[in-house]
Amino acid sequence: MSACYFRWLRIAVWMAVAVITLIWRQPVAAQTAAPTPAPTTAPAVAPDAACRLCHADSTETLTLPSGDVIHAGVDLAVLDASVHGSHAAAPVYCTDCHGPRQRYQYPHAESPAQDRVQFRAEIATNCEQCHVSAEMHNPGHLQAAAGSAVPNCVDCHGGHDTAPVSAMQADPVGTCQQCHQKFDDPHVADIHAEVVANFGEGQTCQTCHASEPQSEDAKCQTCHSLLTRQLTLPSGDTVDLHVNPEDIVNSMHGERVVEGIQYTTLRCTDCHREQGLWGFPHQPIDAETRRDLTIGMQQVCQECHRDIFARNADGVHAQHIVDGNLEAATCADCHGNHAIHDPDQPRERVSQTCGNCHSEINAQYAASVHGAALLGEENPDVPVCTDCHGVHNIPDPTTAAFRLSSPQMCGRCHADVELMRKYNISTDVFDTYVADFHGTTVTLFESQAPDEETNKAVCYDCHGVHNILPATDENSQVIKANLLATCQQCHPDATANFPDSWTSHFKPSLEHNPLVYFVNLFYMIVIPATVGGFLLFIGTDIFRRSREWFGRRRQRGTDA
Amino acid sequence: MHNAQQLEYNRFNVFQRIEHGVLLVSFTVLAITGLPQMFSLQPWAAFMIAAMGGIETVRIIHRAAAVLLIVGTIYHFVAVSYRVFVRRVAMTMLPGWQDVRDGLQALGYNVGLVKTPPRMGRYNFGEKIEYWAVIWGTVVMVITGFMLWNPIATTSFLPGQFIPAAKAAHGGEALLAVLSIITWHFYNVHVKRFNRSMFTGKISHAEMEEEHALELAEIERGQQREPDPEGVRRRRRLFTPVAAVITTILLIGLYFFVTYEQTAITTVPRQQVDVFTPLTPAPERVQ
Repeated sequence: MSACYFRWLRIAVWMAVAVITLIWRQPVAAQTAAPTPAPTTAPAVAPDAACRLCHADSTETLTLPSGDVIHAGVDLAVLDASVHGSHAAAPVYCTDCHGPRQRYQYPHAESPAQDRVQFRAEIATNCEQCHVSAEMHNPGHLQAAAGSAVPNCVDCHGGHDTAPVSAMQADPVGTCQQCHQKFDDPHVADIHAEVVANFGEGQTCQTCHASEPQSEDAKCQTCHSLLTRQLTLPSGDTVDLHVNPEDIVNSMHGERVVEGIQYTTLRCTDCHREQGLWGFPHQPIDAETRRDLTIGMQQVCQECHRDIFARNADGVHAQHIVDGNLEAATCADCHGNHAIHDPDQPRERVSQTCGNCHSEINAQYAASVHGAALLGEENPDVPVCTDCHGVHNIPDPTTAAFRLSSPQMCGRCHADVELMRKYNISTDVFDTYVADFHGTTVTLFESQAPDEETNKAVCYDCHGVHNILPATDENSQVIKANLLATCQQCHPDATANFPDSWTSHFKPSLEHNPLVYFVNLFYMIVIPATVGGFLLFIGTDIFRRSREWFGRRRQRGTDA
Repeated sequence: MHNAQQLEYNRFNVFQRIEHGVLLVSFTVLAITGLPQMFSLQPWAAFMIAAMGGIETVRIIHRAAAVLLIVGTIYHFVAVSYRVFVRRVAMTMLPGWQDVRDGLQALGYNVGLVKTPPRMGRYNFGEKIEYWAVIWGTVVMVITGFMLWNPIATTSFLPGQFIPAAKAAHGGEALLAVLSIITWHFYNVHVKRFNRSMFTGKISHAEMEEEHALELAEIERGQQREPDPEGVRRRRRLFTPVAAVITTILLIGLYFFVTYEQTAITTVPRQQVDVFTPLTPAPERVQ
């Protein structure tokens, strides 16, 4: 009995002291980094002496409405050993954490918490009296999906056994693992191993799961900038999942001003937008092959680049895809995907882009007068692939229509006086072509029957297609030595004199084609002279007849 | 004399009128299909070409009309030979100094320097100009047309430059011919007075007086002599086989003209080019 009596006396004394102290003492308003210095007039006894008296060895329990049981006993040794314990820079008392204070005065009021989680959460709100708010400290968790259990301060840092941050940092994985046992999942272990392989030892959960607020992109980049793994599609094709975020920032899709409009950097989900597919965790991709995936992405490009997409649909590449030839180029084949840059800067880039698929033709072009000037001299005037073939609505170059309109195409530059003057090339080439049999027929076909085939030569039948050489080059198809062979492509029976029946793009003059010049001169004199003579004679005849007619009329007048 | 005024005189027999009809048709078709080719870049020409079924069709029509013209020309050559060598008809179409004098007198009469108009024979100076212009024009057109139709055959014995020169001459001569017809022919036989003789075969007394006064005088004097039938029969026996041979040769020449060469192959041989020759690695750059 004496022991019991002594115990109650001790409680009474401590409670009296505690009540006096609690009423007197100001609430703690310490900061994490710089805890409030201890009051200069420290009380003789700690304000939580009363709490400690009961909870040190209490075996009592509190049962919450949910049925969760809270044990009232506190291991004071553990508490004292914690960062909030006896070694703390400033004393932390029970009611600093267990507030509001009024509820924790004795006799304790009933807790409003419905379950253990709420109970702990209420305590965790008191951490912010000294420490930065959870929103600032660990927003990542707060962004967790609605309905999932959001961890609070004590879930990670502990309650009475609050460990120093250094201890947590020493075993960060262990801390996270308290909740995220999934880390033992082989899938997560794989990823961890990959991150370690890429970035070395010492990778923690925070390597990927930053504690700062995360943008949508950052969430994607968490995996896609860190991992080098590949996705394997049902066909066995693999897709590299690694993305360098800098590629997008530095690309045409990075922050930039176009025609006065400020564009921000595209986010991952702007293109990879089907959240069901691209949100996390990702749904399986229904593409069978890598090609399917690439072609499917053109629908995404279309969303912003509507006009171009519509034009492209008329082009030969899109038509081939529609016809089932999946090798034909789609948006990303020419433009790339993440690192998209100005497609014609520098101009050689166009030739290289087309050359990815059309390498043999590109090799021919590279050796031509146009290609050599582009690739060797960075000449800004020579045509690149797209100047003749167009860009998105690229026509089929094997059609009659393309062939018939091709002289106009060449004429765009070769009839341009300003442009040709630089290279000392005659601009008569177009007019002299059109004036001749070949050109006349082709011009008429082009305007009257653009889809009909004609065997009359166009520019590239004589000069070559991609392998055009200067008309002075010894390998040119059109120099004198090679011209007969060129003519014989269409005129197999042609003999040595035949090529001269072509006026070589020269307008007839005393120097070039003098015979034609003289014939023209002859008729320029003979036609006006003859017809003029006829008209003169006719004029005098009319003059005489009208004089006679008037004379007869006057005669009749006088007779009457 | 009142009766004489109403007299009509035979001027062209039915063969001559048919011959003229063939020439009329072939010349007109040649002009209509040829001039648009010469001025093919003019909108009107392009319209005409399109209306006639496109340039290739126009060329075929032009060549068909050319064949008709050449056949007519061969016939004319034979018919004139028959009249000259068998019937011994005077060569009234030959030009002479009298024609120059007649022309100058007509001009002087028109402007009032000369009191009387020239008195002219069966073919007056205006008709001779026209006839010989047609002869000259046809020769030029047939020769240059052959060159254009058969440039490979032509350049096997002539310099290549003859082809564009032939084209220039063909066009220039065509323009000259069409303009001459429109001015000289149309004025003289349609505008001045519609001379129906080439369609009816008959010419009026008034027209004879004005244009063929000497021929009229000869007729009225009864100087129109008929050839002796026996001589005609005799000469015809020689003429017929010779004319047949020459006509055959000319027609073979025409066939040669038309079919000698195929200038260009019907289609340009298409080159097969490997278009899809991707560089390695494959162009896909999916990440």
